[in-house]
Amino acid sequence: MTRKETGQLDGQADLYQPTSSILELRSVSCAYDPRRPAIQGISFSVREGEILCLLGPSGCGKTTVLRAIAGFEPVRSGQIFLSGRSVSSPSETIPTEERRVGMVFQEYALFPHLRVDDNIAFGLHHLSRGERTGRVQEMLHLTGLEGLERRYPHELSGGQQQRVALSRALVQHPVLLLLDEPFSNLDPDMAGRMRQEVHALLRRTKTTTLLVTHDHEEAFAMADRIAVLNHGCLEQLDSPELVYHIPATPFVADFVGQADFIPGKIRQAMVHTELGEFPNPLNRAEGTSVAVMIRPDDIHLTPDQSAGPRIVGRQFRGSENLYTVRLPSGQVIHSSEDSTSVYQEGTPVEVRVSATHTVLFDADALPRSPNIGQRGDSKPD
Amino acid sequence: MIAVRRLSVSPLQLAVLASTALILLPLGYVTALALSADSTVWHRLWTTRVPELLLNTVSLAGAVALLALVLGVSTAWMVTRFEFPGRRLWEVALVLPLAMPTYVLAYVYNYLLGYGGPVEHLWQMVTGPQSRILSPQSFWGVTVVMALDTFPFVYLLTRSALLSFNVSFEEVARTCGASPLRTMLRVTLPLLRPSIVAGVALVVLYVVSDFGAVSLLRYQTLTYAVFQQMTGRSDNQAASILSILLVVLALLFLLTERWFRRKSRFYQTTGRYRAPQRIQCEWWHATALTACLATVTGLAFGIPAYLLMMWSLSSEAQAILDARFFGFIWNSALLSSLAAAAAVLVGLPLAYLANRKPTWLNLGCLQAAYAGYVLPGPVAALAVLVLFLNVMPFLYGTVIVLIVAYVLHFLPAGLQSLEPSIQQITPNLEEAARTLGLGVRETWRRVTLPLIRNGVIVAWVLIFLQTMKELPATLLLRPVGFDTLAIRVWLEASEEYYQLAAPSALLIVLVGLPALALLLSRDWRAA
Repeated sequence: MTRKETGQLDGQADLYQPTSSILELRSVSCAYDPRRPAIQGISFSVREGEILCLLGPSGCGKTTVLRAIAGFEPVRSGQIFLSGRSVSSPSETIPTEERRVGMVFQEYALFPHLRVDDNIAFGLHHLSRGERTGRVQEMLHLTGLEGLERRYPHELSGGQQQRVALSRALVQHPVLLLLDEPFSNLDPDMAGRMRQEVHALLRRTKTTTLLVTHDHEEAFAMADRIAVLNHGCLEQLDSPELVYHIPATPFVADFVGQADFIPGKIRQAMVHTELGEFPNPLNRAEGTSVAVMIRPDDIHLTPDQSAGPRIVGRQFRGSENLYTVRLPSGQVIHSSEDSTSVYQEGTPVEVRVSATHTVLFDADALPRSPNIGQRGDSKPD
Repeated sequence: MIAVRRLSVSPLQLAVLASTALILLPLGYVTALALSADSTVWHRLWTTRVPELLLNTVSLAGAVALLALVLGVSTAWMVTRFEFPGRRLWEVALVLPLAMPTYVLAYVYNYLLGYGGPVEHLWQMVTGPQSRILSPQSFWGVTVVMALDTFPFVYLLTRSALLSFNVSFEEVARTCGASPLRTMLRVTLPLLRPSIVAGVALVVLYVVSDFGAVSLLRYQTLTYAVFQQMTGRSDNQAASILSILLVVLALLFLLTERWFRRKSRFYQTTGRYRAPQRIQCEWWHATALTACLATVTGLAFGIPAYLLMMWSLSSEAQAILDARFFGFIWNSALLSSLAAAAAVLVGLPLAYLANRKPTWLNLGCLQAAYAGYVLPGPVAALAVLVLFLNVMPFLYGTVIVLIVAYVLHFLPAGLQSLEPSIQQITPNLEEAARTLGLGVRETWRRVTLPLIRNGVIVAWVLIFLQTMKELPATLLLRPVGFDTLAIRVWLEASEEYYQLAAPSALLIVLVGLPALALLLSRDWRAA
């Protein structure tokens, strides 16, 4: 999937410049001092008007990609194109101010010595005073900041500061908007509201956007397509639905949501596991050891005194109950049940899997521990 | 609620009140003396000396501030934004001028730029025998000397501000289409303004209260005039009037600075911080930077230090390195140790009580202790002198008077390193000790003192070093025939015996160097 898609892009790039692609990265690598993350051979493109999200754990290099596109980091190999023009290559780095990218920093970086309107107008110094005021007013109106133009940044709430930062980036009509973890400094409630608001605004202004985040829910809510990064490499680039339901690698499967990996073996063109038989979509050879990825929402429990599996834990999450179930073999799986279905710990349950598709991985592609290590900084839901 | 409180005053509180009295009484006496003066005295001073003195002082402060601003900010920018061979060396070397008291630098420049001096020789070789160069004993001469001596204040503050500068501000300016130059002018420098202003404020206070350089370069400022009134005319009343003027001037200036700082206090709205990356330099770029930095440090420290060493090795200088000379060293060391110990003993209760029991009384006492900040050396000396002449005349001419003046003068420097060390330890630690069965005294001995020990040591060292090079108060109050190293430098230099002044001057500079290490590490304000 991913690998194939990026491979195709590489092939196409030599033949023609896709006119609708605003940003294109061709096997870009960055490396600097060993302490900081590097990226290797990243290729993808962003289409006009699209919101593309770079998703990955901290230290995966997603911010480096953003900084390379903005021109803050030189590339060591590969090339970056903005509107068809090469802006970064090992031999040349066009200065940031000539790239026409807008950027919203994680901490907003509002100039503390300038008022809101001066902050927004900062990039418009080439315009006449009248035009400048007009553009700023229009932006204030668009982002709902009317009445706050004479305030200083420290006199604003977190959400207002973010709107100012967004206005400042959008007012210069950038060809590409870069958002670096834009919602991580807001409390969860505010972050949720701002997500919707920003999404609507970007749609309305038809702004091509590249958003960086470590939060898969944010990526799902905002993105047209998601690029999952890990250890400086692109693992998958797909729509949010595909990334969730048909993850390309065990890492992606685990990073974008809860996932269980059930070991199985191929026999008679079917995958045989403790939870039953599954189709063999990849046509793996007979006798291969594989793992089936199953999401908690595909597993259903029915209490049954004669059943082997037992409930060993329950987490109430408001809209659902997340059960931890131990199978007779010792394998632990998770199931999400209705908010009202409350079973005691120790209850024997029958386990039924209702997946519309089967996601298979080679058994040796799985990390040792059942929970893949890098989940650490993805926000708990 | 405790219904009844024992009405007793702790010994600590008494100590605090006593030290505050010690600080405020001299000031009270001087003010009283000035205000009791006949109106004709005021009138005479006001019409003759004051306008000239005020103009001289203010214009000197302004010119030095401007020059120090340019030197300090540009050098700070060079060592923080560029990477070139020797950068770390220059980073430290730029602080060295602070080890050189103004009177030492002034006397070296008196020789260098003076009539028949080496620079004039060079100049005349180029432009003919009649041409003159900038005289050190002129407005611009004093300005250059003072700026070379004080620019490290601006340098240090700007450098630390640049090092902790969040580079996201510059990056976002670039994404808004601003060129590097525009980014610097519109974003970086405005954001550094508070630090730069704080540095310039230190420079101005330093210039206004300086006695050493202006006396050797014979430039009339208020501080110098106070000294002259006391010595030449023995007119303490006129001196106290000028002193009041001087203090008011310093206060006005301090208030302006405070007001400005409050106005331009910037709130960081940001959490994450990204350090700036230094620009790697090409060889020619590195050479140019090195040449700039070498010129500045050479003029401010290298050449003077070299001359002092050469002079100290001359036969004239070697001849005076006898028992008398070691007597001066002993006098300096003794005075400085006593003053430092006294100031720490006075300052510790003040700082402790104001932080642990911040009543208006205790906070007021602490603020009063900072009065020395706006008291130039001659004024502190005058205040203490007037007090003792009125209250305990029998002590006049003893070392005690001198020590009191030092404490009054240098207490702020000590408090600035005592206060943070006390603020750092949470009261919980002391309370925990009390719950573990320790008494008040035991707690102090076993918990508080060990924790603030470093702050106390730093305070002591800083005051010791300050006293070592203190000049005007020592000149005015010392017992007859009691000379210190600083006095010797000034006396010999006044007579233009450059070689004879050199050993004492060199020693003062050498002893001053450790203070710079402290300065670079944390407590830059105190020195």
